[in-house]
Amino acid sequence: MIVSRNWLKQYTALDMPLEQLEHRLMMAGLNHEGTETIGHDFAIDLEVTSNRPDCLGHLGVAREIAVLWGQELTFPAASPSESNTPVTELTKVTLEAKAICPRYTARVIRGVKIGPSPAWLVDRLATLGIGPVNNVVDITNYVLFECGQPLHAFDLARLKGSQIVVREAREGEKFEAINHKTYELTAGMCVIADADRPVALGGVMGGADTEVSSKTTDLLIESAAFDSMSIRTTARRLNLHSPSSYRFERALDPEGVDWASRRCCELILELAGGELAAGVIDTGAVADVRESVALRFPQVERILGIPVAAEEVRSILTSLGNVEQSADDEQVEVLPPTWRSDLTREIDLIEEVARIHGYDKIPEDVSVPMARSARTDHDRGLEKVRQVLTALGYDEAMTISAVSEDWSAAYSPWSDAPPLRCSTPVLRGANYLRRSLVPSLLGARRINETLANEVIELFEIAKVYLPQVEGLPEEHLMLGLTSGEDFLTVKGAIESLLLRLHCKVVIEVHDISETMLTPGCCCELRLGGETLGYVGQVSDAGLKRFELRRPTTVAEVKLSTLLSAAVLVPQYAPQSPYPAVDRDINLEVDQSVRWADIEAVVTAHGGNHLERLDYRDTYRDDQLVAAGKKSVLLSAVFRWADGTLTNQQVDQVRDAMVAACRDELGAELRG
Amino acid sequence: MALSEFVAQLDELVASAQDAFAGAADDDALEAARVEYLGAKSGRLKAVQKGMGGVDKADKPAAGKRLNEVKSEIEAAFQSAKDRASSITDTDASTDFDPTLPGLQPRLGHLHPITQTIEELKDIMGRLGFSVSEGPEIEDDWHNFEALNIPASHPARDPLENFYLATADKTAEKTAKSTGGPLLLRSQTSTVQIRVMENTPPPVRIISLGRVYRPDTADATHYPMFHQIEGLLIDRDVTMADLKSVLRLFAGSYFGGSDVHIRFRPSFFPFTEPSVEVDMSWGDKWIEMGGAGMVDPNVLSAVGYDPDEVSGFAFGLGVERIRARRHNVVDIREFYKNDVRFLKQF
Repeated sequence: MIVSRNWLKQYTALDMPLEQLEHRLMMAGLNHEGTETIGHDFAIDLEVTSNRPDCLGHLGVAREIAVLWGQELTFPAASPSESNTPVTELTKVTLEAKAICPRYTARVIRGVKIGPSPAWLVDRLATLGIGPVNNVVDITNYVLFECGQPLHAFDLARLKGSQIVVREAREGEKFEAINHKTYELTAGMCVIADADRPVALGGVMGGADTEVSSKTTDLLIESAAFDSMSIRTTARRLNLHSPSSYRFERALDPEGVDWASRRCCELILELAGGELAAGVIDTGAVADVRESVALRFPQVERILGIPVAAEEVRSILTSLGNVEQSADDEQVEVLPPTWRSDLTREIDLIEEVARIHGYDKIPEDVSVPMARSARTDHDRGLEKVRQVLTALGYDEAMTISAVSEDWSAAYSPWSDAPPLRCSTPVLRGANYLRRSLVPSLLGARRINETLANEVIELFEIAKVYLPQVEGLPEEHLMLGLTSGEDFLTVKGAIESLLLRLHCKVVIEVHDISETMLTPGCCCELRLGGETLGYVGQVSDAGLKRFELRRPTTVAEVKLSTLLSAAVLVPQYAPQSPYPAVDRDINLEVDQSVRWADIEAVVTAHGGNHLERLDYRDTYRDDQLVAAGKKSVLLSAVFRWADGTLTNQQVDQVRDAMVAACRDELGAELRG
Repeated sequence: MALSEFVAQLDELVASAQDAFAGAADDDALEAARVEYLGAKSGRLKAVQKGMGGVDKADKPAAGKRLNEVKSEIEAAFQSAKDRASSITDTDASTDFDPTLPGLQPRLGHLHPITQTIEELKDIMGRLGFSVSEGPEIEDDWHNFEALNIPASHPARDPLENFYLATADKTAEKTAKSTGGPLLLRSQTSTVQIRVMENTPPPVRIISLGRVYRPDTADATHYPMFHQIEGLLIDRDVTMADLKSVLRLFAGSYFGGSDVHIRFRPSFFPFTEPSVEVDMSWGDKWIEMGGAGMVDPNVLSAVGYDPDEVSGFAFGLGVERIRARRHNVVDIREFYKNDVRFLKQF
């Protein structure tokens, strides 16, 4: 809301320096956005919060100034002189749509002389950035910006049947507004019609055909109240926003309807002449729903933390237009003014006291009692995950939670249920809530490739959204990875996480088939039977789909599974003081035998002193290994808690391992 | 043989061995000297050692002791000669070695700047006694609006101000029915307050951090997804002075300096009353921190608290804004582009 400094002066004294005015208003709730010099005036831009429509007019702002500086407020009387012809003889108003237009008033002025506005009026509007049209239109604008109540002046002669019908729009009905654009209306919109067509879109904009022109002599002055929801919907749906719709979307002063009408007529008579018909057609009525509100004095200190004297509390409330109903030592009861529909509760009055008394009086150095606060296990676990990944050279990415339909369809290992969709895209084309982080990370990878970034190692920790049949969707926190390294390196990164988190459970590997991933070079990882995640090298088709040039391995880990296996408070275990003894074992096995098989057999026969089993290498050299076979080199490390193991003891176990591998896996020991 | 004679032989051996080792001009000469004195088969030490047999039985322990000492001395002399020789070689090599070459740096990853800020904020608020709570990003009408005192008529509910989930498909429709209203991506982390208060009797002292979503067109200062930190303190006799003081401690801790001040400007949020915009002093200027206020009695009632028994404050700050200001990031879209060169800066 832009206010003119000269205009404000009509209602209250403005002797204070401009800067002080701006500052004090800001500190009392009208945030100062900036001030411009316009001619001999200042245009002060104030931000008005949605709970304060009373400040969408100069009078409201002047009232705040008067309260803050303890000054008088001069309110225009708005009492135009009437002729003898009753208004009811000249026009008729039928209010059919009371739900969306609770009150409609009309006054009629005949014999006006349309012409340019006087300089003072042109200047006032110019400061607000509004160009002059003619004296009548300028006056309706002026009154709008004076008190915040929008008005409309119709050319009475152009109203068919000289009457007004307030009704809901018919579906598909056409209407040409003052801006000379034609709008197609839908049911639920409020239309001001004459005997046979819409002449205004109620509360939003007047119509082209009935606007006041140089030929106009008789006027119908509309002042009404409209339902804020309906106005908002209409303005949004037609993308037609006006100072009127802006105000009607908020709760305006019901008393303002008639006052504005009278004020407008008063100014028209003064500046455009004519004669005002007697009385007003006032259809509908807005019930006075105000109830008195009690403020218990101790509550002020209980909420603000500072005492404010009862006298000051009462004087602040009264100066703001509240009318005292009763007062004693304990409390004051007031009836809030009609223009402050936001004041309905004790706490609302406390806020008024606070902002006028001044928030600067509230101390910033009281001692707040201490309280226990502990980091959650979740956060502790995540911190370790991040430590491991950054130590392994991964940079943390953050990508948006929605993806395109194509990306959403590309990869979704966690759910087959169709993804949730936003009614509007979160970002260009991205309206599907992701079911996996991998597509977004491949997108980030692609951006880095186009920037010719050499090493692209990224991880992200974020949620995926899996629809459920009922209730809120499931949100799972995932760790996603994309790396330029190979499958085993990325799998190793996940294994490192388990080590760092001291997980006791061992990862199981299960084969999967997934078009985004290279067959045989991808798998599901499970932890205690539960899916931990998926790792795989992106297939050529996958790379193509995401427009990637270089190979990448991706992985996704469900963090709840990982963290539930984490041991965040590891316990001490005594370490044997005796040296370890190791044995390398080179086994020739069929190609189909997997490391997991060998590991299982060897471990099962490792006796009580097998400390560790390390995989070393696999040879497939035709020269050395028989066809269809491979040679797997492993190293078993033994240690005993109570003494040094002898070679004989260790060899015995080694021989048992080898024998078991021969029996169970058909393995042959190689020299 | 008398002990003294044996010892004399030993001493002489040491002296001559030391001379021989010291005098060896190169590796070959040193090796020859080693074989002469320390050779396993016919070295002079071996020869002298054989003389032990002739020493009187009673003197044998003393002779053995001395023999061992001498052996060590000769070996030490050899070792030092050898070290000297090899150090000469090393010195030659060091002229070829360039210690100014860059060390071998393993690649280190970087935490996302938003994560770094979030962790720091959690840390600071943790020290002020606030524990972290989390909640879902997809919310229902009750938690995102109704319980937060945002009635059905409030403009904040407008479809253009929120990411509602489409209900065209059957699942979403069923979901909407079972949760009593359309689901949406939460537009604020205040939803977590409601979830915590619904399940926890007062006192409550929490912060919640996370992603929130609003349909803003992406530009240098807006992004449709951003992160919020929200603080909530509910107890008996919590006042706006507590709010101001906590925010001051917070601002002083994060931005540094004991001379930080907090300023409140009146504002309007449905879920707080009174509501304020919070500024902090930044040199001789005031900069905006975020919104705050006393939890609205309607919100307290909605979660089953008695507004006459307890009071509390809430505040919310944008993480991107805090981060951007402190690190001079001029375009918040950078946070979501994930250019590794950007990530590496922090």
